[in-house]
Amino acid sequence: MDVPKVAKSLPGVESVSKIDDTTYEGALTVRVGPIKLNLQGKIILEEQNKTDWRAALRAEAKDRMAAGAVNGKTIMNLKEIGAGMTELLVETDVNILGKIGEFGQPIIRKKADAMLKEFVENIKKQLSGK
Amino acid sequence: MIPFEYRTPKNLKEVHATLKEFGSDAKLIAGGTALVIMMKQRLVRPTCLVSLRSVRGLNSIEVKDGGLSIGGLATHRAVESSSLVRRRLPMLAETYHHVATLRVRNMATVGGGLAHADPNQDPPPSLIALGATVKATSSSGSRVIALDEFFKDYYETVLNPDEVVTEVMVPKQAPNTGAAYIKFLPRTADDYATVSAAAVLTLDKSMKTIADVRIALGSVGVTPIRATAAEAVLRGQPLKAEAFAEAGEKAKQAVDPVSDFRGSAAYKTDMAAVFVRRALEKALADVRQQAKAKAAPKPAAKPAKKKAVKKGKKR
Amino acid sequence: MNKKIKFRVNGKRHELEVPTNRLLIDCLRYDLGLTGTKEGCSVGVCGACTVLMDGDMISSCLTLAVMADGHDLTTVEGLAKNGELNPVQKSFIQYGGFQCGICTPGQVVAATALLKENPKPNEDEIKDWMMGNLCRCTGYYKIIESIQKAHQFAK
Repeated sequence: MDVPKVAKSLPGVESVSKIDDTTYEGALTVRVGPIKLNLQGKIILEEQNKTDWRAALRAEAKDRMAAGAVNGKTIMNLKEIGAGMTELLVETDVNILGKIGEFGQPIIRKKADAMLKEFVENIKKQLSGK
Repeated sequence: MIPFEYRTPKNLKEVHATLKEFGSDAKLIAGGTALVIMMKQRLVRPTCLVSLRSVRGLNSIEVKDGGLSIGGLATHRAVESSSLVRRRLPMLAETYHHVATLRVRNMATVGGGLAHADPNQDPPPSLIALGATVKATSSSGSRVIALDEFFKDYYETVLNPDEVVTEVMVPKQAPNTGAAYIKFLPRTADDYATVSAAAVLTLDKSMKTIADVRIALGSVGVTPIRATAAEAVLRGQPLKAEAFAEAGEKAKQAVDPVSDFRGSAAYKTDMAAVFVRRALEKALADVRQQAKAKAAPKPAAKPAKKKAVKKGKKR
Repeated sequence: MNKKIKFRVNGKRHELEVPTNRLLIDCLRYDLGLTGTKEGCSVGVCGACTVLMDGDMISSCLTLAVMADGHDLTTVEGLAKNGELNPVQKSFIQYGGFQCGICTPGQVVAATALLKENPKPNEDEIKDWMMGNLCRCTGYYKIIESIQKAHQFAK
């Protein structure tokens, strides 16, 4: 799996660089109105199963100005559901810590949902070759 | 908080020039009650604060085209205590009175509050229900924006970074119009609402048919919500007992609240229906009360009582 | 970034240079030594930091010191005149309007502002005005009574 390409499908990801075969470094900017978070962290490819078409990514990022941190895990599954049709199942578990977590729980959750929706749309576009 | 420059422009021209100078790193500040909290928590880190506090002439409250014109820099306190607002639009004065504490209301401005765009605020649903518009001014001129098209997302409006809310205009209300704002506060009196509903109801001459209605809700989405479907089941219809409850149910379809410490999403949705119904009932009572007062014979002139109302300071 | 500001506190003129990010409460307490104003919650909710700016009550923990430039401030230290406590202060003592005292500066400043606007407020008016001044000790009964009876001490 092309981790940088997948990572860049998440809106706000600004850079992804490889450290080793399973670890990448990345930067993500998230805006909620006047609040801007500059998250920097690691993306670790935990599982890449070419027979089951399954991949698991773990991410840990801290806001540079220490307003908080984000950690999360994403599991992606490709399943053939019919002639020429593949289903992509994305399961994400995200924890928001620190000031942004305590201040912005409902806001961040809404934002996270919107970002994931866009992420899935982008992946779909890439996979269907558009 | 991080160090920043603090500029005090004396007029709008200087405001826009300063904003241009600092670009996206600048933030406007008026009362500062919302912004300073966010800056203390380092959630917002502007390198320049452009204060509107020295700009004169933007805090008046006056009659304009039969309606009300409220300057963007008028404080919440000025609106709640203005005899003009209390006489002509008591629901609006009440709404502004509901905001936080008196300390906040003495500083927070009408324009600043709208630009902050927290969907839990009290003024937006009331202003939307009253059909208010906002005047936004930038270096290239002004534009008028309907308030129900003003809010985009949590803390986001359609304002460009260099636009200042200079005026809020509440149009003249049609005859036989009643207004109500109800704030559901199961926790503390100074809190944001768990759910809030504003209703402005206009009856026809016979007082038996709903000529027009506007319903808006707060704390049930990422922006204030105008319940257009609920309005549609009422507009043009005769007044009947179940109509308001039906509108309340319809309003549920428009809301998308988040679960938080003020209530679960399911609870807030249910309460949206209840409070829309109650707001409509209160608005109806208001129309009837006004009609009664108009029809009643005028009492003999009493000596004017000294009102313990502080007039907004003209700056 | 520093800025020069001029303001009056309790009738006395001050000219200082403060960092722009200095909060008014910190300026009053540390730069001017007026430690009567207390910081309770830091988010403008509890009212312990209440001061008057041009006679209106504000949260000094949510106000930048630079925002007070050119204004007239009153803190709890400025309520007494020539060594004589003001009517609100006298009433709080007479009727027991405080226990631990931490919220009291905010309470008396807020109550003083109320009485200026409404010399004989009723209970509802007191509750409405004082709603933002929290107290963890008294249960508010004696605070309300002290405010309601303060007019007894007015000249």
